[in-house]
Amino acid sequence: MREDIERLLERLVHASVLERVVISVAALFAAILVGGVLVFASGGFASCRTGLDLGGATFCYNPMQVYYELFLGSLGHPLEGDWSPMNYSLATTLRQTTLLIFAGLSVAVAFRAGLFNIGTQGQLVVGGLLTAVTVLFAAQYVPGGGVGTALLVPLGVLAGAIGGGFYGAIPGALKAYADANEVITTIMLNFIATGVTATLLSWRFQDPDSANPQTRTVPEYAEIPNVPVVGFSGRMDFSLLALGFAVALMLGIAWLLARTSFGYELRTSGVQPAAAAYGGVDEKRMTVASMTLSGALGGVAGAFWVLMQHGRWLENVPPLGFDGIAVSILAGNNPLGVGAAAFLFGVLSSGSSSINTATDVPPELVGVLSGLVILFVAMPEFFRMIGRRFVDVGDAAPARTTGGEADD
Amino acid sequence: MVRDRRRFLRAAGAAGFAAMAGCVGGFGEGGGETDASVGMVYATGGLGDDSFNDMAQQGVLQADEEFNISYDEAEPDSVGEFDGAQREFAASGDYDLVSCIGFAQEDALRGNAEEYPDQDFIIVDAGVETDNVRSYNFDEPAGSFLVGHLSGLLTDTEFAAGDSETNPDESVVGFVGGEESPLIESFQAGFEAGVEHANPDAEVLSSYVGDFNDTASGQETARSMYESGADIVFHAAGRTGVGVFQAAESENRFAIGVDDDQSKSQEDYADVILASMVKRVDEAVFSAIESVIDDSFEGGDTEQLGLEDDGIETVYGQSIGDEIPDEIKDEVESSRQEIIDGEIEVPQEL
Repeated sequence: MREDIERLLERLVHASVLERVVISVAALFAAILVGGVLVFASGGFASCRTGLDLGGATFCYNPMQVYYELFLGSLGHPLEGDWSPMNYSLATTLRQTTLLIFAGLSVAVAFRAGLFNIGTQGQLVVGGLLTAVTVLFAAQYVPGGGVGTALLVPLGVLAGAIGGGFYGAIPGALKAYADANEVITTIMLNFIATGVTATLLSWRFQDPDSANPQTRTVPEYAEIPNVPVVGFSGRMDFSLLALGFAVALMLGIAWLLARTSFGYELRTSGVQPAAAAYGGVDEKRMTVASMTLSGALGGVAGAFWVLMQHGRWLENVPPLGFDGIAVSILAGNNPLGVGAAAFLFGVLSSGSSSINTATDVPPELVGVLSGLVILFVAMPEFFRMIGRRFVDVGDAAPARTTGGEADD
Repeated sequence: MVRDRRRFLRAAGAAGFAAMAGCVGGFGEGGGETDASVGMVYATGGLGDDSFNDMAQQGVLQADEEFNISYDEAEPDSVGEFDGAQREFAASGDYDLVSCIGFAQEDALRGNAEEYPDQDFIIVDAGVETDNVRSYNFDEPAGSFLVGHLSGLLTDTEFAAGDSETNPDESVVGFVGGEESPLIESFQAGFEAGVEHANPDAEVLSSYVGDFNDTASGQETARSMYESGADIVFHAAGRTGVGVFQAAESENRFAIGVDDDQSKSQEDYADVILASMVKRVDEAVFSAIESVIDDSFEGGDTEQLGLEDDGIETVYGQSIGDEIPDEIKDEVESSRQEIIDGEIEVPQEL
């Protein structure tokens, strides 16, 4: 038994890229199968007017219909007539993908530095509010039109990055200089972010014309512009430019981690903090710097949420930062994998709303389905990460220090 | 073993493809045209609140029984999702009517009503003046005034029903709101005015939970009110309000329900629910669907539903409502008449 497990782990750890892709796809199908059975069975407990009568019971939900909506609905039903690639469902999928690339990168960068940043959500909330407030303020002094766009959009994104970065630096500094566990501090700072921003909103920034808790809308020219002709329509809250920026940032972070001395120091302090310190990395500064970078990426996610999706900051911020944790784990903390994982999440989120409207399946069950898909797809990678601790990885194994302690 | 696995995989694959070939539509669906198809976008508390959203659903279910309609439902989790949910229905062009339940959908609907001029919409609890939107507004302050009046009278009376009783030495009642917004504040304003009308010295404790779907916080908030001497707590908080009933039960005090006759929809707590301020959202939704079927849908208007047309009414609890003394009920009834006649001015905001 034990031997079997070891052999399996070894197999997983040594799997080639192609094999890993095959495993992921197989896991996806397994999740679909299990989820389908679950949907079908729970249809037996629901009540409906018409259903499939089978052995005395009535089954209300058709799993095939559910998956059809989940995967093809998220693309806007490409197999049906009058499909256009610029449809709203696809815009939702790609919008979610864009935002989750930022959030996923934020978590991944901290992970690679050996830090578990659960605070992306808080950094996103703070960055988003700062973006909205800064743009609303600056818009009074900036001319409209193209000039306004060219000035306000970068300013807003920068404000988000600074806000998020500052908010990420706090747990970084607490970790480096007071040895406070970053898992605890980031979780707590999430609550503080929610409370403080809600208070700031009602104190000063609430839109007086609206019943919803939200800031005023930024001028239209301050929103992320659409690509003319090939782009999605302005009301779809998605811009190909934003997706392009997200992909560029993703490549930039991958390059930063792989090719720069900063990235090398970040990775080594993640893999072997003691060895990194011995090799001359200023451990404390590295902790603060990587948390700041991670927070800045979270803040950028908030900025895009404001400037691309809503044009204003809303008090009810969706849990993008928490989804970012799952995206990053699914991607094995690899910046390039974050793109693919974010796209899967985008499909699940847009497909879920499609299921919601097109079928009678309750939203809770749809949540279970998405959860199953994520769980199954992430599991092989998870076991791979665990397996590396037990299996000799051969050449890729890092040299282990014997007793060398960092000077504290 | 290996052979078995192969055979299993082959069989499973074949079964899978066979199933895939089957239709991807819903079971038993298709065939038969319907008179109307309705898209419902519920407020953030979601279905199962036994209150506002469920009342709206009642309207569709009733229409479904009386006419040949089909309907689909969306339950957004947050304000940011309303736009997408409305659009999902409107963009498909398959729906004769899209019902937007709740004031928080107003901003999103303003944009969508303009973008989809051929789509008919209704909105409940807000006003959108576009030709393809019919708005339904209820006179919540007047209804809240009446239950406030009832609470103010009862808190000074020695009254016991079920396992609960009032404390006649102290005149304290409570109000628990969901999200702090002008609409919910108008409930509070009416309630406070009603209490004051009954007893100018009575104290009203008011608090907002900040969520329509947080039963635990609702319970905590109400419990602290009961512990500060409140005899009766009125809620306007959707699913959060269930927590108020739970607290009333454990503290042996009373509560007042909202939107639906909650002594019916929340039967477990019927022994603490004195009355409910019923808001006929179901009527609004039903009549809108009816008008679509009759081809008499008129957009651009706001329909005001108040006490006189029973759009808002005070419904006494199924199980303990009978024990409320008749003279108190008479007083509430007479102040209802006075509001209709314009003799009592109910404040519309705090």
